[in-house]
Amino acid sequence: MSGRVTRRRARLLAGVVAVVAVIVVLLMTGLGKDPSVIASPLVGRAAPNFTLPQLDGPPVTLAKLRGQIVVINFWASWCTECQVEQAALDQAWRRFRDSGVVVIGVDFEDSAGAARGYVRTDGVTYPVVADAGSKTALAYGLRGVPETFVVNSSGRIVNHVIGPVGGAALTSVINSMLTGAQ
Amino acid sequence: MSPMNAAEALHRARAGLPGLLVLLALVAGLVSMISVAVSDHPPASQAQQVQQIAAGLHCPVCKDLSVADSPAPLAQQMRQEIAQKLRAGESAGQIRAGFVAAYGESVLMSPPRQGVAGAVYYLPLLVLAVGLITAFTLLRRWLRAPRPEPSGAGPPQLSATQRRAVARAVARLREEEPG
Repeated sequence: MSGRVTRRRARLLAGVVAVVAVIVVLLMTGLGKDPSVIASPLVGRAAPNFTLPQLDGPPVTLAKLRGQIVVINFWASWCTECQVEQAALDQAWRRFRDSGVVVIGVDFEDSAGAARGYVRTDGVTYPVVADAGSKTALAYGLRGVPETFVVNSSGRIVNHVIGPVGGAALTSVINSMLTGAQ
Repeated sequence: MSPMNAAEALHRARAGLPGLLVLLALVAGLVSMISVAVSDHPPASQAQQVQQIAAGLHCPVCKDLSVADSPAPLAQQMRQEIAQKLRAGESAGQIRAGFVAAYGESVLMSPPRQGVAGAVYYLPLLVLAVGLITAFTLLRRWLRAPRPEPSGAGPPQLSATQRRAVARAVARLREEEPG
């Protein structure tokens, strides 16, 4: 009788230990991840097309840039982190524009006047378009600014950066795409 | 009912109480789940439809706010986009799928019913089924347990003092037996 009770208790204990072990493993798998960084489901897929008016210039249509590498940077004049990356984007534009690379700044939730002032003061040389109504931002699953998407010559998104993009990292991505690695 | 029967019935009722409570709780849970599912009527006007779809989407630039509740400009744009898509004839499912394509499943306020995340819907039902089976088994075991003999039919119940007195009397009788 006591043997049966002991066996039953042992089985119960083993069951509890197994359930706790499963919970611990599930929790541990999530501990190494940063919950604030959510990978874009668009990476590897076709970049959503857009036609947006430039602040000062003709409208830009993404589909017309097929065959070129396109760096799409969502930014705003009120965004302080965008100022951190602006030099890197400008450098990439000046360095790679003759190699078939286009950098486009997409102004997000901003006034045209403030955006123009920023472009003038900070010496932005690449084309900047205005996304009135945030339709393009929504199509790209934007969660804030700055965010940068790199589109390959086939029109697929190959890279997505949340936060300020680093000059070295951007150069590395573009170089690998130009040499056909991506 | 004799005092002995009443005590036995009380003891039995106490032993079966946890099983009954579990059963009642499970049935109540099931009824509430069914009533929620039944009351999920589609909204009448387009504004209500926008509100319902927006309530099912996370505001991407907020913390723990739905698109319906958020005052953020991006959430407002999302509500406008939902309204435009409804006018264009898209269904609620198509609109949700569009946002999921851009933002991933994390944009949904409730996890999807497919894939691993779907376990949050099916696991409670599984637990409910296991609970019901357990409660049913416990109840059946309790009901089928052997009943005590009716008082008077079996040997009389004696206290320890009475048993000692009987033992002493039997011993005395044996001593007095000749040979």
